[in-house]
Amino acid sequence: MKTSIFDLENWREIGATLSRNKTRTFLTAFGIFWGTAMLAMLLGGEKGLEHKLMSNFEGFATNCAIIGSGRRTISYEGFNKGSYWSITTDDVEALRNGIPEIDAIAALYSVGGISVTDGSTATASMVQGVSPDFPKIFLPVIYDGRFINASDENASHKVCVIGKQVSEKIYGTESPVGQYLSVGGIYYRIVGVAGQTAEVQVGGAKIDEEVIIPMSAMRRNFNLGNSAGDVCILVRQGISPSSLQPRIERILGRAHHIHPDDHNAMFFFDIAEQFEMVEHLFAGVTLLAMFVGISSLIAGIIGVGNIMWVIVKERTNEIGIRRAIGARPSDIVMQILSEGVALTVVAGLSGIVFSTIVLAAAAKMIGPGFDLQLSTALGIMVTFVILGTLAGLIPSLKAMKIKPIEAINDK
Amino acid sequence: MITLKDINKTYPGAAPLHVLKDISLNIGRGELVSIMGASGSGKSTLLNILGILDGYDSGEYWLDGKLIKNLSENRAADLRNRMIGFVFQSFNLISYKDAADNVALPLFYQGVGRRKRRALAMEQLEKLGLADRAHHLPGELSGGQKQRVAIARSLITRPSIILADEPTGALDSRTSKEVMQIFRDLNSQQGMTIAIVTHDPGVGEQTNRIIRISDGRIV
Ligand SMILES: Nc1ncnc2c1ncn2[C@@H]1O[C@H](COP(=O)(O)OP(=O)(O)OP(=O)(O)O)[C@@H](O)[C@H]1O
Ligand SMILES: [Mg+2]
Repeated sequence: MKTSIFDLENWREIGATLSRNKTRTFLTAFGIFWGTAMLAMLLGGEKGLEHKLMSNFEGFATNCAIIGSGRRTISYEGFNKGSYWSITTDDVEALRNGIPEIDAIAALYSVGGISVTDGSTATASMVQGVSPDFPKIFLPVIYDGRFINASDENASHKVCVIGKQVSEKIYGTESPVGQYLSVGGIYYRIVGVAGQTAEVQVGGAKIDEEVIIPMSAMRRNFNLGNSAGDVCILVRQGISPSSLQPRIERILGRAHHIHPDDHNAMFFFDIAEQFEMVEHLFAGVTLLAMFVGISSLIAGIIGVGNIMWVIVKERTNEIGIRRAIGARPSDIVMQILSEGVALTVVAGLSGIVFSTIVLAAAAKMIGPGFDLQLSTALGIMVTFVILGTLAGLIPSLKAMKIKPIEAINDK
Repeated sequence: MITLKDINKTYPGAAPLHVLKDISLNIGRGELVSIMGASGSGKSTLLNILGILDGYDSGEYWLDGKLIKNLSENRAADLRNRMIGFVFQSFNLISYKDAADNVALPLFYQGVGRRKRRALAMEQLEKLGLADRAHHLPGELSGGQKQRVAIARSLITRPSIILADEPTGALDSRTSKEVMQIFRDLNSQQGMTIAIVTHDPGVGEQTNRIIRISDGRIV
């Protein structure tokens, strides 16, 4: 006697009642459709956006800073305002030994437009000298061979790691490891091929486009003396690179006659701070997305509750007739609830399908990460169905209380 | 078929209204009776109690050997569905369902499959000469046709008794006669027990027995 949710007859009945007022059903369904689509697009798109922003930093230790030398802006100890100073290899050791919070420190010096050739094919490239700590900070991708190591540095080995693009230009698809390459007229043995995933360029080019040699070889072969170029530091997790800035300034200032207040004599770029800024920006965007998504969800659910209420009011007479000819109160509740759930499920699924299409288009145009995880989609659906059911509950309990005589006498 | 013993019914409220006073009556199996009386005398109230649409305060109501008293909503719904067929003055058809679906609806609540429901409904409509109107919505039918659809619906579950409240109240005299003829035929040919509430003496005359009710008492 009792109708069940698994009964096909029940669903036919629901189809018949929902298709009765098509415009209103459509409008309510559209509200839910839009709410789901909105939420799904925001949750799916958020990941894509995050991916897009974070790709700048990928393959890059984030808790690091770059220190560069420049010109004094305050005259001090016989050195005029405007005079140049540069970081030396001694400074690098002084920083390494003086500040234990520094996990890695790498000097790098780059010179552009150097002619690079294997004897037959030539190209102009950026040459970068790096210290052995370099890969700890920049996390290069090694395609072939190995990276520059400490013994290369200590012995000023004439070895190089070439960027993937450089390798392809000169050697095509062959492995260049073991070959000798003339860099600015001096031959270096190739020990590896490398590249990077980050979008950030350090020293004016991506690793893919460079030739990398030991810093010691760089200093000797490019006549740099004891200059160390720019210095990158990797700071222990949990400590902000900027918090070390005063101590770094003190050590370098003392060695180079820089006025203690001359903060502009040195270039200090905290990458962690940039990273954090993006993260904060992103947290804001996420919050906004959640707010908008949840608002549309609530609006959609209220829409369902509202329409169920109207349906019950309008159909008091019908419900009375059904009760008179044998519908149990639970049949009526089931009918009203199922109508709400059916509407929510169909409209919600359409919303998810729609947002999947939009996200796929976004992925094609903007980049990866614009996709809706199945779990997210299911989460949205389940939330909607549960809330839709709850919203339909009050109207259906009202429907249950309708007494057949009163409803029939209404006429 | 129906036995009432000292039924009392009071509508509660600021001024409680004692509508039915010690009503005792018998309606035998296969009887066609009419209930007549002045407006407000309590006819509809009595019929609602007979139809298990409403309860009563004291007394006993036996329907087909069952004591109908203090039933749960579910039990009342099931008994209405299986034992009682209703016909109302205002037809009370569902406007967005066609005639056949309206007739079939009581079977839906018995869990009968759609195909079988439709077939039984068609059969019933045919008996009442409405086969060609089966796919029309109530709005597309005349008053007499609507009432015939309602009668078909009341018959579909093969109930013990048909209860009709002013079934001809909204019909002209010619259609009234047709509808009464249907009731008479059901009674004489199939032995259906029928109770009709009416104002119309012409309708009363066509029944086997007239139960007169005045100010909540049978006279
Ligand atoms: N639900 C209710 N609550 C309170 N009073 C009611 C209710 N239903 C009916 N009454 C009152 O009970 C009395 C009997 O009503 P009932 O509907 O049974 O009369 P009736 O004989 O069917 O009248 P009519 O011929 O006009 O249909 C009337 O005075 C009516 O106002
Ligand atoms: Mg009445």
